Amino acid sequence: ENISDFSLNITDCTQVVVPEEVFFTVAAAGILENLLILIAVVRNKNLHLPMYFFICSLAISDMLGSLYKTLENIFIILCKMGYLTRHGDFEKKLDDAMDSMFILSLLGSIFSLLAIAADRYITIFYALRYHNIMTLRRALVILAIIWAFCAGSSIAIALFSYEAATIIPFTILFPLMMFFILCLYVHMFLLARSHARKIASLPSSTVHHRTNMKGAITLTIFLGVFLCCWAPFVLHILLARFCPHNPYCACYMSIFHVNGTLIMCNAIINPMIFAFRSPELRSTFKKMFYCPR
Amino acid sequence: MSALRLISNRTSQQALSDSDYTWDYEYYEYGPVSFEGLKAHKYSIVIGFWVGLAVFVIFMFFVLTLLTKTGAPHQDNAELSEKRFHMNSFVAEFGRPLESERVFSHHMAEESQSLFHFCINEVDHMNKIKETQKGPSLESNTHFQEVPKSSGMFEEDLHCLTKFNIPNFVNTEQNSSLGEDDLLISEPPIIL
Repeated sequence: ENISDFSLNITDCTQVVVPEEVFFTVAAAGILENLLILIAVVRNKNLHLPMYFFICSLAISDMLGSLYKTLENIFIILCKMGYLTRHGDFEKKLDDAMDSMFILSLLGSIFSLLAIAADRYITIFYALRYHNIMTLRRALVILAIIWAFCAGSSIAIALFSYEAATIIPFTILFPLMMFFILCLYVHMFLLARSHARKIASLPSSTVHHRTNMKGAITLTIFLGVFLCCWAPFVLHILLARFCPHNPYCACYMSIFHVNGTLIMCNAIINPMIFAFRSPELRSTFKKMFYCPR
Repeated sequence: MSALRLISNRTSQQALSDSDYTWDYEYYEYGPVSFEGLKAHKYSIVIGFWVGLAVFVIFMFFVLTLLTKTGAPHQDNAELSEKRFHMNSFVAEFGRPLESERVFSHHMAEESQSLFHFCINEVDHMNKIKETQKGPSLESNTHFQEVPKSSGMFEEDLHCLTKFNIPNFVNTEQNSSLGEDDLLISEPPIIL
């Protein structure tokens, strides 16, 4: 350790430190927000629908991500203060458990987004048969399968992370899923566009021509936020695995804490772009907070 | 993950001089990293990554915008005081377009007008809809629900749209982007 410190000269990329207050505030905000959503969905019977269950699944993943970061910081502080040893067996197991929690959160987020997109897709394209295709029971089964798969994968990845064979599928899964979700939404767009054209061509229509920006903006926000929050960390993992000694990679890895904070910001933003857009959920919140108990 | 652990160890090592920040060291150690003789800027990966990400997101946005251009002929600007027509056509199922009127408040900006949608719901579903207003009459076995939309939020559109049990539907409106973004913020038909 002394040698490595000695060789790091002035042009070294020093670690970018995020103040702990910022860290804990962001994490706490993320956890609280997603917890609120879970409580709202549980309490309001009208929200016991497949769509809201998928949104809840996303909220749980976000909560896990924020929780992981908080716990990691707490443990590092405890280590700093000397309550935990650095090389103990218990700490290693704890570290493994927390790493797998984090990967669970990432996988859970990806699959929840996929489930939400697929649910909307079925709503649009199979609207007549939607309630036969996506019953409540099926939605719960789908969620159970998704989470079992994510839990198994995360434990496997955490245990076998030193092998390249686990890192590569993990990092390939990420863009693949994004691409698939993008394709689903684009297909929905195209349908909407063709129908809008049909409507516009009707004689009694007085449709005003304008570029429909809202849809493009919304979808860009969806996927852009997810990409910007998670991709830096995924790249970090790749670089740490494949080029830890390269100075360029080392400089990228020095912004590790910023990447972690970005992930927690994703936990705060996701509810705003998914859950809070539902009028029913918003009214449930109002009732929870403004109505006297 | 050992990579994560190592990253925490190594990066935290640089943060604190007493190096008590580390809390696990297992599989391999980072050797000393030499920063001599770098050809490019040392943060080039960071900058390149973020620039690439920004370019990709903007590119995706433009592609989506192109996709969403309706291509309808340009109409004169309807005055805000005029009624706008919200047309739902159910191509396959009903064979004739539904029309519903929406009244827009004059003073509200284009993007933040409240819209009224007419959704077709089955009988059971009516009980779940909180706000209903009068809608156009159609066949007796269909029920229309009107969901007032709060300003600026287009999710209610989809909230309504997805109550349709009909595959081919579209609703258009003059100055709001209903079509595409509604499909994004969908809620499933609450028809049971």
